[in-house]
Amino acid sequence: MTEHLPAPQNGMSLADVLDRVLDKGLVIAGDIRVNLLDIELLTIKIRLLIASADKAREMGIDWWEHDPSLSNGKRDIAAENRALRSRIAELEATRQQAPQENQ
Amino acid sequence: MTATATYMYAITRPIAPEAVSDLRGIGGTPVRVIEHGELAALVGTVDLAEFGERPLAQHLADLEWLGRAAREHDEVVRAAARLTTTMPLRLATVCHDDDAVHARLDSVRGAVLTVLPELDGRDEWGVKIFAVADRTTPAETAPAASGAAYLTQRRRQLTSRDEWIDTATRTAFRAFGRLAEFAAASRQQTPQDQRLSGAEHPMVLNAAFLVSRRDEDAFRAAVADLAAEWPPGGVVLTGPWPPYSFVPNDDR
Repeated sequence: MTEHLPAPQNGMSLADVLDRVLDKGLVIAGDIRVNLLDIELLTIKIRLLIASADKAREMGIDWWEHDPSLSNGKRDIAAENRALRSRIAELEATRQQAPQENQ
Repeated sequence: MTATATYMYAITRPIAPEAVSDLRGIGGTPVRVIEHGELAALVGTVDLAEFGERPLAQHLADLEWLGRAAREHDEVVRAAARLTTTMPLRLATVCHDDDAVHARLDSVRGAVLTVLPELDGRDEWGVKIFAVADRTTPAETAPAASGAAYLTQRRRQLTSRDEWIDTATRTAFRAFGRLAEFAAASRQQTPQDQRLSGAEHPMVLNAAFLVSRRDEDAFRAAVADLAAEWPPGGVVLTGPWPPYSFVPNDDR
């Protein structure tokens, strides 16, 4: 998979692009909710990975393949995450007791 | 439920729809302009099978997909920035349809109109500084005679490495100050981790500068001067970038 990670061009690596498109830019609420915490977690992990999956594997860091939150195989964590999120939303709604616009 | 959604790349000053007719975005899909008064949004139509909440969460965890989407997103934002003043949006900002995009534009209009003038005629430049040094690596030192001697030697190596990084960091910080004089705004970001970056040397500065195009030559000359003071490969300039690092994202 690493052959898809382009070599730095003009000093500009994939890490530089990801650093910007994931972590920067105007954040507005889309309808498809990508949980901001998910993005933050992803950003942190990518910052660790930085364009060299091979290097990470050499160092024994193979979470990319085995971390349930990052591997495609396991959906249970994602499902649990969603359930928790909706539960939190319910709790917040009952706590505030005020009709709230879903942003 | 419709099978498609509207993917937003950037919010800009008005752009003529024809200006983006050849532009392709995520997955090679066409890019369109949504006009909204004195603002415009660059958008594309994407498949919910790929950009719905579940598939999107899965895709974002797939480095190959993520890398490709990041490049494609960045290409469109770059094209927008070549046309007019542009506020990049974070990757994967997806609305149900064009009406929802109009609603988003309404809600951010005030903030966007405040920030756009600060971005007019300016580009982002990235400067990375690496602590390049010719030093004796641990492997090249003579083997220690005993365990205690080894520990002493190792501690000395680590200390001198820390000191050397500290010195490089301080020097890089002064360099940041020098370059900032040529910029309308400047930011220091988290350095990319060297152990995993594959970079030969530790990064001690990962900075972004918002530079007026009028001052671009002076800024680049200042970077070149700086690079001449560091060992080869110590200073890396990237850009011009759309102003990713200079739009508000404080609602994170």
